[in-house]
Amino acid sequence: MNALPSSRLLWFMSGSIGLIALPHAWHVPPLLIGFFGLMWLWRLLAIARPAWLPNRWGLFALTLAGIGLAFSQHRGVFGRDAGTGLFVVALGLKLLEIRGKRDVYVIVYLAFVVAATQFLYEESILMALYILLVCTVLLATLVTQNSVSPQTVPALKTAATLIVQALPIAMVLFVLFPRLEAPRWSWLDADNQAKSGLSDTLEPGSIAELSLSAELVFRVKFDGDLPPPAQRYWRGPVYSLFDGSAWKAAPALFRAANPDQPAFGGRAYDYTLMMEPQKQNWVFALELPSAFPAGLRRNELYQLTTNKNPGDRAEYRISSTPAYNTGGISPAERRENLQLPGKPSERIRNLIAQLRGTEASPEVLIANLLQHFHRENFRYTLNPEPMPERQVETFLFERRAGFCSHYATAFVYLLRAAEIPARVVGGYQGGRFNTVGGFLEVRQADAHAWAEVWLDGKGWVRFDPTAAIAPERIEQSVNVDLQIASGAANFSPIQLDAKTLTWLQRGRQLWQNVDYQWQRWVINYDTDNQKALLQSLGIDDFVKLGYWLLLSVGGLSGLLAWRLLRPNRRRRDPVLLTYRQFCDKLRKAGVDFGPGDGPQTLAQRAKTVRPDLADAIDRIAAVFIRLRYEPGAETGDLRTLKTLVRGLRV
Amino acid sequence: MDVALDRLIAAANQIILGKERQIQLAVCCLLAKGHLLIEDIPGVGKTTLSHTLARLFGMEYQRIQFTSDILPADIVGSTVFDTHKQQFKFHPGPIFKQMILADEINRATPKAQSALLEAMEERQVTVEGQTYALPQPFFVIATQNPTNQIGTFPLPESQVDRFLMRIELGYPSRQAERELLAGQPRHLLINALAEALSPAQLVELQQAAASVYASPALLDYLQAILAYTRQSPDFVNGLSPRAGLGLLAAAKAWAFIDKRQAVLPEDLQAVLPAVAGHRLNAGSSDSVGIVAPILAQVSVH
Amino acid sequence: MLGHRRIFILPTQRGLAFVLLIVLLLLVGFVYSNNLAYLLGFLLASIFFVAILHSFKALAGLSVRAGRQPAVFAGQAGAFNFQIGNPGRQGRYAVQLALQSEMAISLAPAETRIATLYQATERRGWLQPRTLTVSSLYPLGLFRAWAPLRFDSPLLVYPKPAKRQLPFPESGDGQLSEGLSRRQGDEFYGLRPYQRGDAIRQIHWKTFAKGQGVFSKQYAGAGSSELWLDYQQAPGHNSEERLSQLCRWVVDAEKAGLRYGLLLPNLRLPPDTGTTHYRQCLQALALF
Repeated sequence: MNALPSSRLLWFMSGSIGLIALPHAWHVPPLLIGFFGLMWLWRLLAIARPAWLPNRWGLFALTLAGIGLAFSQHRGVFGRDAGTGLFVVALGLKLLEIRGKRDVYVIVYLAFVVAATQFLYEESILMALYILLVCTVLLATLVTQNSVSPQTVPALKTAATLIVQALPIAMVLFVLFPRLEAPRWSWLDADNQAKSGLSDTLEPGSIAELSLSAELVFRVKFDGDLPPPAQRYWRGPVYSLFDGSAWKAAPALFRAANPDQPAFGGRAYDYTLMMEPQKQNWVFALELPSAFPAGLRRNELYQLTTNKNPGDRAEYRISSTPAYNTGGISPAERRENLQLPGKPSERIRNLIAQLRGTEASPEVLIANLLQHFHRENFRYTLNPEPMPERQVETFLFERRAGFCSHYATAFVYLLRAAEIPARVVGGYQGGRFNTVGGFLEVRQADAHAWAEVWLDGKGWVRFDPTAAIAPERIEQSVNVDLQIASGAANFSPIQLDAKTLTWLQRGRQLWQNVDYQWQRWVINYDTDNQKALLQSLGIDDFVKLGYWLLLSVGGLSGLLAWRLLRPNRRRRDPVLLTYRQFCDKLRKAGVDFGPGDGPQTLAQRAKTVRPDLADAIDRIAAVFIRLRYEPGAETGDLRTLKTLVRGLRV
Repeated sequence: MDVALDRLIAAANQIILGKERQIQLAVCCLLAKGHLLIEDIPGVGKTTLSHTLARLFGMEYQRIQFTSDILPADIVGSTVFDTHKQQFKFHPGPIFKQMILADEINRATPKAQSALLEAMEERQVTVEGQTYALPQPFFVIATQNPTNQIGTFPLPESQVDRFLMRIELGYPSRQAERELLAGQPRHLLINALAEALSPAQLVELQQAAASVYASPALLDYLQAILAYTRQSPDFVNGLSPRAGLGLLAAAKAWAFIDKRQAVLPEDLQAVLPAVAGHRLNAGSSDSVGIVAPILAQVSVH
Repeated sequence: MLGHRRIFILPTQRGLAFVLLIVLLLLVGFVYSNNLAYLLGFLLASIFFVAILHSFKALAGLSVRAGRQPAVFAGQAGAFNFQIGNPGRQGRYAVQLALQSEMAISLAPAETRIATLYQATERRGWLQPRTLTVSSLYPLGLFRAWAPLRFDSPLLVYPKPAKRQLPFPESGDGQLSEGLSRRQGDEFYGLRPYQRGDAIRQIHWKTFAKGQGVFSKQYAGAGSSELWLDYQQAPGHNSEERLSQLCRWVVDAEKAGLRYGLLLPNLRLPPDTGTTHYRQCLQALALF
């Protein structure tokens, strides 16, 4: 029983172990993965030369070294990274100590655990498929171990069959098995995952950085039709404090409360919003959210926030109404939104005076200001020259080139200088519609900044100065792929319609849709989802759930057992079937023959009994012999045989 | 080529009267590159048959009469000291000929028999550490008396399958016997025979016979026969894989003689008694009776 | 034919460890709220489950029949032949067979194989095989499926041949005055190295001339006389010893190519030679 494993088995196993550990190379510290790689290579070399394997003491020393290394990298065994590191090191060490069947099992089981830790880093559908593939090889290792004369292809086939047969039951278990809400383990979250995105500080370059990122922020699936592109503003943080170069959101503690609740009118859009993991607990709703689930809160700045861990994917049902009136403004709020970093300069005041004209209405000033941007040769670019000092003035009077945050900043600055309360709003604008999945994808490159002005009787009203410069930016959204491909962020209008949507883009959309469904139904399936699903199935207590589990698993395995264990039906050879009919007819005609008589013998005997049929019998025997015993029978022969036998009258 | 083969068979039938089937089997055996064992009581024409075949196939022919005191060295040869050259010299025995007629092989002691059987198997001879290759082609036609005769050493069962076929001749029919009695002495006829095939032609024919097609369905039937002999309580030992190969080769040659390019179940059945009889029951010379249950029980389709 | 009534399945130690592995994976999924870790756990759980069916399938449908059991001498290992047939379309990659000895075989679709398993023999007579256990760990080694099978297929055990080589007994008619093996018959049998006492005319001068050593010619007197092996004349303290001696004589006589007959108190086998006769004599001794 304790025979040394064959080299085929070792190759198999080493191969699958290598595949398992490979994706870990990106997040396990280089020292640890290097250690593992060394052990792995050692193992590979030792397949041909078993004498090269370390002895007991060498192994002991290696073990100490490995454990020391793991501790030095993570100072502990708990937590995702530390645990993963330790398992990887253990797997490497165990590879060098294979004395018998038991060790093979230990290694394969360890490898399964390492495969599971992989999911703690990445949950994409590709990773899942990859791990599934590696699991097949791992299972094939076990199959090889248990075969008398192992062969590679049948072993892999058996393993794949096992997995394919197990998948339906696994799915049922996945859906029905009671899911418990895991408590938040603080020590497990020690590892920070850096994510890009908007923050509560809006610096001059921050949006330009995002413009090259195709990273998905959220997806939206509307119940009915989509809002027009000009209304697709996804509200994020609101910045009201300006220090001359950067905008900051007012700290929540000092935030001035609005006396009125917003009043909504006109049609509302209902949609499902699916957030990708975020750094902040912001939920980017279409302006302005009018109805939202209990876990969300709409703060004083009309921004939605969640009380869940932003690092998890989450899905929300939200209603938004683009027509709204936020009502009045408190004195504190007015004060806050008139704040300026020092007194505006002479040139600014002159510009305001020039734009305001004789009338004092804020609406006129705003209209003139937008006209100014439009007329005066302002350009939109994602990589303007840096404006280190006196940013607003340099932008307005010298460079006249910038992107959304420059325009929003200048716009708000000028209005505040004109004593009109205004602020900058961050968020996303637009999004790309996925025709396959029927949802909108919003990426980091869609990050945007616009302005909000408080007008008497209207409340806070959105103005987007960027639209005055580059209306395409608002109407058609950013072509992220093109931007990334060219590496440049210069904005140019892109002609993009259904006609130019190449198969490549269609493929990408399809893939995005698959990924969306994957995220939505697999990665994001949690206690709440399960509860909702089970309730829709009419399962409301554990007893019923137990029955369901038993019934579906039992049913599936019954089906499987029937398929696997039904007696093998003999393959029916049509040539032979036809020949048997012929035999039956002859027997009826009084020809006596046994099972051991060949076709020629049979024909001879039949002809002596029934000389009248001699011709037909000879032809049938000849065709049958050609079909069954001679090379190169033609397809027509079978038909001939059938016709001849059918035509034989006895 | 085929015509030459037909002529050969026809000529053989002129000499040995009324034994068409046995002659066809014997030719089939040579085409399948197998050694032949002819078993019957003395005087029915065993030697005549083998002599005729050797003559017709145009091969170097050597007859070895096996007796109880024949020594292995009398068959394979021996090393003799050459006084002129002051060294040992190998004197090849009678076995170094293309066709050997081993007459009354079971009269010899097991030792002498072994010497011949080993040479048949390996197609070479080893004397005092030196290996000497036998000529190509190399055939042995052995005759033996039924084993129940006094003073015989039956061939060991483990070695009897070195012979591809064993055939029995049996008494001639009344009419054939009359012709035999009325006609010329056989040995005169044999001496007058011209060679019908050259050794090169024989090699060609052998290759052609080996390339006859055997369909998967036929191999199924062959395997069913092999499996039957291994399972059936009728037989002490089932047919070996070597027997299976021999059976297929013989069936191909049989089909070839019948001028067909594919083997039929009937071909297998025709050669089965000769190929399988002595392997399944060496003690009995009733080959047809031995294989009868196989033919009756194993289903062709 | 192995049906479901005769196949038993239990998880192995490794199967139990596999359950622990599943629990561990589910724990990882739970602690990190990771659905894919859950999924992997569930997948392994259902593989565990499906493996039961496959273990069953590894044996189900196999046909096991007892084959021909060749006779042996007592003390030799008795070789029991079993015929394992795989009528299905799928191959069996690991079938373990255990009697007293064990062996593992694999069977291609529609393949039939003879498996020979050994069992010690002690006494002469018929020996029934013990329970044959057909088992399989295929495919993953998580479960062991096995079927205990009993066969009525005895093997004949001949008596153990006596160790000492005694001269053959004198025949009743007194024709042979010495052990026949020493007698100079007229039939040449072979050569054997020269021993002191061999007559000088027995020396094979041919080989001597070649410098290959001195050999004596051996003669066997086939046809000249018949040998009767009589139970009453066989030496021995009890019947077993006598049978053992008779057995030895039968073996030696057959080897020497003599014609021998066997006389037992209740049986008389007339002199003959050849395999069939040899077997008959030994069987008579075995079942005496």
